[in-house]
Amino acid sequence: MSKFSAGLKLGDLNDFIAPSQTCIVSLKGVKKNSQPEKGVIRMQERVQTTEQDTAPVKVTLHDCLACSGCVTSAETVMLEQQSVDEFLKQVSSAEKAVIVSVSPQSRASLASYYGITPLQALKKLTTFFKSLGVKAVFDTSCSRDMSLIESCEEFIKVYKAQGTSNFKGQKRGFPLLASSCPGWVCYAEKTLDASILSHISCVKSPQQAMGAIIKRFACANMGLKVDEVYHVTVMPCYDKKLEASRDDFVFSIEGNENNEQAGTARFTEVDCVLTSGEMLDLLQGRCSDFMLLDESPLDRMLTNVDESGHLYGSRGGSGGYAECIFRHAARELFNKELSSPLEFKTLRNSDFKELTLEVEGEVVLRFACCYGFRNIQNLVRKMKTGKCEYQFVEIMACPSGCLNGGGQIKPRKGQSGKELIQNLETVYLKEVNVSNPYENPIIKGLYDSWLDHPGSQKCLQVMHTGYHTREKNVASEISNW
Amino acid sequence: MEMDVVQELQGHSDRVWSVAWRPDSGISGRPSMLASCSGDKTVRIWQCSSSQDLFIQHWSCVAVLDGMHQRTVRSCEWSPDGKLLATASFDGTTAIWENVGGDFECVASLEGHENEVKSVSWNCSGTLLATCGRDKSVWIWELQPGNEFECTSVLHGHSQDVKMVLWHPCEDILVSASYDNSIKAWIEDKDREDWVCAQTLSDSWGHTSTVWTVSFDASGHRLVSCSDDLSLKIWDSHSNLLSEGNLWKHLCTISGYHDRTIFSVHWSKASGLIATGAGDDCIRIFSEESNEKSTLGGDLTYKMVLKKEKAHITDVNCVRWHPQEASLLASAGDDGVVKIWKVAGESLY
Repeated sequence: MSKFSAGLKLGDLNDFIAPSQTCIVSLKGVKKNSQPEKGVIRMQERVQTTEQDTAPVKVTLHDCLACSGCVTSAETVMLEQQSVDEFLKQVSSAEKAVIVSVSPQSRASLASYYGITPLQALKKLTTFFKSLGVKAVFDTSCSRDMSLIESCEEFIKVYKAQGTSNFKGQKRGFPLLASSCPGWVCYAEKTLDASILSHISCVKSPQQAMGAIIKRFACANMGLKVDEVYHVTVMPCYDKKLEASRDDFVFSIEGNENNEQAGTARFTEVDCVLTSGEMLDLLQGRCSDFMLLDESPLDRMLTNVDESGHLYGSRGGSGGYAECIFRHAARELFNKELSSPLEFKTLRNSDFKELTLEVEGEVVLRFACCYGFRNIQNLVRKMKTGKCEYQFVEIMACPSGCLNGGGQIKPRKGQSGKELIQNLETVYLKEVNVSNPYENPIIKGLYDSWLDHPGSQKCLQVMHTGYHTREKNVASEISNW
Repeated sequence: MEMDVVQELQGHSDRVWSVAWRPDSGISGRPSMLASCSGDKTVRIWQCSSSQDLFIQHWSCVAVLDGMHQRTVRSCEWSPDGKLLATASFDGTTAIWENVGGDFECVASLEGHENEVKSVSWNCSGTLLATCGRDKSVWIWELQPGNEFECTSVLHGHSQDVKMVLWHPCEDILVSASYDNSIKAWIEDKDREDWVCAQTLSDSWGHTSTVWTVSFDASGHRLVSCSDDLSLKIWDSHSNLLSEGNLWKHLCTISGYHDRTIFSVHWSKASGLIATGAGDDCIRIFSEESNEKSTLGGDLTYKMVLKKEKAHITDVNCVRWHPQEASLLASAGDDGVVKIWKVAGESLY
């Protein structure tokens, strides 16, 4: 059974592969058949297969996605099992320095499971991973602050460019849609047309932002070259594995005099993704009692922990995009300082909430949080019929958002799904200070020393991405006859 | 028991998949209206010119709904008040048409299914619409003011193509039938703010091949299902023996009468007779065997009281009893023809 989000389960997840639809990737490198002479019957020599020929052809998920997006349930099983094995292999081979970035949702999932705080969970995880040989354990709340800042800058740009000139060569209009959920992005690329895709924010997700930060810049501060780093993230869902394998997140480093090869070398921002559940399996398999693990000091370089040892980050189990951009826009565009917790208005159901800002009786900002497939359907409908009044929508594929991701640790015996989510919402911010991304000293430092300033040209190159409609090829359409 | 053709309705240029009587046909003198949908991408509306005598041949085509669907229209259903007609198509969309003084105007198009939509059904109050399709999902839509529809739920559970969805005649319980051999019942779970599968009818008492159609009796207490496994099954929800969480219990299986796939089954609200349309071109009618010893789950049986061979010259895709007039039956075939039948006999009343 696939553990991917609803949008990915639909369509193309089809075990019936029609004859012409079989995976073509593995056939690359098949020997060419030369044309026989007309009128001559060619007798084919039986080819003796050698040991090497019978080695299984490996099709990576990357190859699969690059083809036509036909992800069968066989591939999802391969995908689901691949990550932990790969991770352990890398860690034990010690060829590369393994860096693990833990998401705050995964940390909360673990904290809830063991009844401890997120800080305790992250500290114990640091001990555990390092005992395996991991070099550093970081926190994606940190890179998330950069994603949030870039999203704020992007919003202001689009707001100001509204109806006027083109933005980035493409007419951008409202609503701007959050880009951090790969379940949503993959669904949009496969089923919606380019007109909807043009609304998706181009800012990278916290996972990919962390990958970019580590591999393109920060690893040097750790005395590592980019080809010496193996970056692993721990995430609340399986869809993040698909995100990590996107071609858009593969980059090349320009070669230098010493190494002509480097110009052609390609690196990926995130090498491996483990889900919270896989991380728990790993813990339970290798560690007799997680609760007895020491609490190691955190690796501060890319972790949101302040001088007094408190964790900090944005509010919102799905990243807090709507809230953060709303506050920033209120401040920058309307000079309104919104300090108290923002009041979301629940619409159809608790997975569809609205935020509005009124100035002199007129609604000037209207944002929404839209979680779950059915709500996404309604939002897309409104967009298609031109009835969408929102300027920004935080879209997430999973009902209740990322805390309820498909890869999170399952409820304990006797605990209902609803109880677990309520607990996760509380634990997520337990002893975590809510902070303004713009005030994150680590991120400020990254802008100062590397990316110049928020929204700069360098940011556009390194922290932004694009989307592509996945055209269905003829072969996959045959099953629709 | 006898069955004779009243009229053959020609006009479609491809197989006719489904027919649906407008619910108020014959009530307060309203003319009977029948919708039929076809592989020719259109829906035709047929009307009987006289409400007095339905058995004289004066049915005519009063409207052709075209230009909307890009592929076969697989299913059509009237809203309970007869004002709207929903049409489900292989093009992945479900269109909603409004009857505006004899003209039908498309007022909405529901998108979202990944591929062919196979069936559509309105709930008894006309506030909810369900659709299902080859993408294995069942969607529930809520009607909003201004003929707007909002997606309320996308239900996964079936492991194969879902052939049909049907709402209970009185309560908001949705039943779905699938190529995965099972029938599922779905209800709303207010706690979870979503719809959930309350029961799956499969395995021991379930069908052993594709379930094509389901139909409720007038009260909604019983459900009949038909399948590629050549049997009909009757399910009951009235029994005190039902365990918690189980809405339906298998009552009996009717087998040995069909030798080809049974594509359609319909339970007459007026007479209680069950009609079937099958791949052997026949229409059959079944009646509950009056049995004094019969208790629920005990001695209940159904016997075949009529077999009309060559009802169509091809597969019979759909059979539907008239909502009011017990002796009228409509059928649709691969031959592109819609037939109106008159049934006569003792078992009728």
